[in-house]
Amino acid sequence: MSSSRVILQGRGCAPGDFEGEAVVSNQPFGFWQGIDPQTGIVIDKRHDLCGTSLRGKAFVFPFGRGSTGTPGIFLEAVRNGCAPGAIVNVKSEPMIVACALLAEAFFKVSIPIIDGLKGDPQELLRTGDRVRISGTSGIIEVISRV
Amino acid sequence: MFLTDEERRILDGAFGEPQRISLQVLVKLGEAYGAERMVQIQSAHLVGSSYQIAGEAGIAIYTRLVEQGARVKVRTTSDPGSIDFARWREFRTPAEYAERQILIAELLDRMGVIPTWTCTPYTIFNVPRFGEDLGWSESSAVVFANSVIGARTNRLAAYVDVCAALVGRVPRFGLHLPEHRRGEVLFELDPDLSTSFEDHDFPVLGYLVGQVTGDRIPVIVGIREATFDQLKAFGAAAAASGSVALYHMVGITPEARTLDEAFGGRAPAERVAVGPREITRTLEQMSTGQGGAVDVVGVGCPHASIDQMRRYASLIHGKRVHAGVELWVCTNAVVEEMARKMGYVETIERAGAKLMVGTCHNDCPLGAWGFRRLVTDSGKFAYYTPTTVGTECVFASTEACIAAAITGQVERR
Repeated sequence: MSSSRVILQGRGCAPGDFEGEAVVSNQPFGFWQGIDPQTGIVIDKRHDLCGTSLRGKAFVFPFGRGSTGTPGIFLEAVRNGCAPGAIVNVKSEPMIVACALLAEAFFKVSIPIIDGLKGDPQELLRTGDRVRISGTSGIIEVISRV
Repeated sequence: MFLTDEERRILDGAFGEPQRISLQVLVKLGEAYGAERMVQIQSAHLVGSSYQIAGEAGIAIYTRLVEQGARVKVRTTSDPGSIDFARWREFRTPAEYAERQILIAELLDRMGVIPTWTCTPYTIFNVPRFGEDLGWSESSAVVFANSVIGARTNRLAAYVDVCAALVGRVPRFGLHLPEHRRGEVLFELDPDLSTSFEDHDFPVLGYLVGQVTGDRIPVIVGIREATFDQLKAFGAAAAASGSVALYHMVGITPEARTLDEAFGGRAPAERVAVGPREITRTLEQMSTGQGGAVDVVGVGCPHASIDQMRRYASLIHGKRVHAGVELWVCTNAVVEEMARKMGYVETIERAGAKLMVGTCHNDCPLGAWGFRRLVTDSGKFAYYTPTTVGTECVFASTEACIAAAITGQVERR
């Protein structure tokens, strides 16, 4: 465990504040057929996070893959309290940003989204790192490392 | 973002809560992607009409919107539902599941949505014109409207499409801007492939183009001619294996009369040569299963046109679907009605095949059937159905699909 604080600056795509644990992957991710909305656990067998829970985590991955039905599954997870608590991408497609904006509009749940992460997410952040995220300023603060 | 006086009043709640919340979502989305203003749309198309997609969260959203008096402001059509409303018991759909889809139908009806229940709204009731701005979801319909017709829509997310329908606007970014519609990746068919290109090669090429292109804009050169249905099959495959929302086919699609026009005068960022070898390699990827006994054959993805219904009828006329095999033909209610008048429905049903109307394999809960091997002529089904239905998949031409249904056996190409 290291105590030195690291600040990463990205671009805020959806507002909100988050503090908690990160789950990091260098593989693109599609929520549609990608997570079980009843539990928040990754069910895509081709994905390296298969079996991992995203519930209440800062989910860090390069970019979304995705069906236009993506918010269907995502909001079902939000409704069940099983969605990620924040999302950090290299590039956030409108499909992902829409999920957070809809969650806020229809379920009063704010899920900050930041994109513009420079490089391989796994070189910048590790699963288990504790992070503070502001979707308004686009700042990711690493509070403690695993 | 610049907002008109009317848009400001919508955001102040002057036109009710559904419009206020919808425009708020659209403005924030536009701000995240640098839109300078909103643009009025001519129509919307909704993918969240399916219970498989909308789920209980969707029902909660639609219920609240309806209670608040939501009405669509522009012509709005529905994507396939998760049941065949007339035949869901025949497809072994659980009653409690069917009831939730029927509730969604009632809610959309109260918002004024046209119940087309089809992924090909551009063939009936919701036919865009060149250059029109739209607010559509359903990836196969988006890619057709942009590419073949030259209308302008981003791939809207479920519920964002509803927001667009309720205010008749979308944020103006991405494919609404001419400078973002120029080609990026060039696919050159070699002369051997160009001269021998067949009907069943369209979804295969689409699948390959989607895999390579991702979310960029592909330009295809070397296709000599293409029918409406072939372009439909090509785009659906490209939109499934990649996130292709717009393609240009030189000499065929309206924004690509020449190679130079397709690229807007710029050079391609990447060039990809495609010959018979690349087609064969893609074919291998599209089939996850080996040849052998068949459980289910699926045609009509995207929804079959009247031309395709005629073709299925002529291929199966006087034959019989093999015992223990299901042949499912997916289409919409309007094509069904016309095909019935033309006698195609009788021919297809007499052979032992089933029509699946207003829905499709990708949308239905089919666990009760325990299928192991699907045969399809659709690149989109080939991409999704192994996951949604849990089967192995063999991709084959339309003729080979019908033959597989009759013999009960399929060979891998």
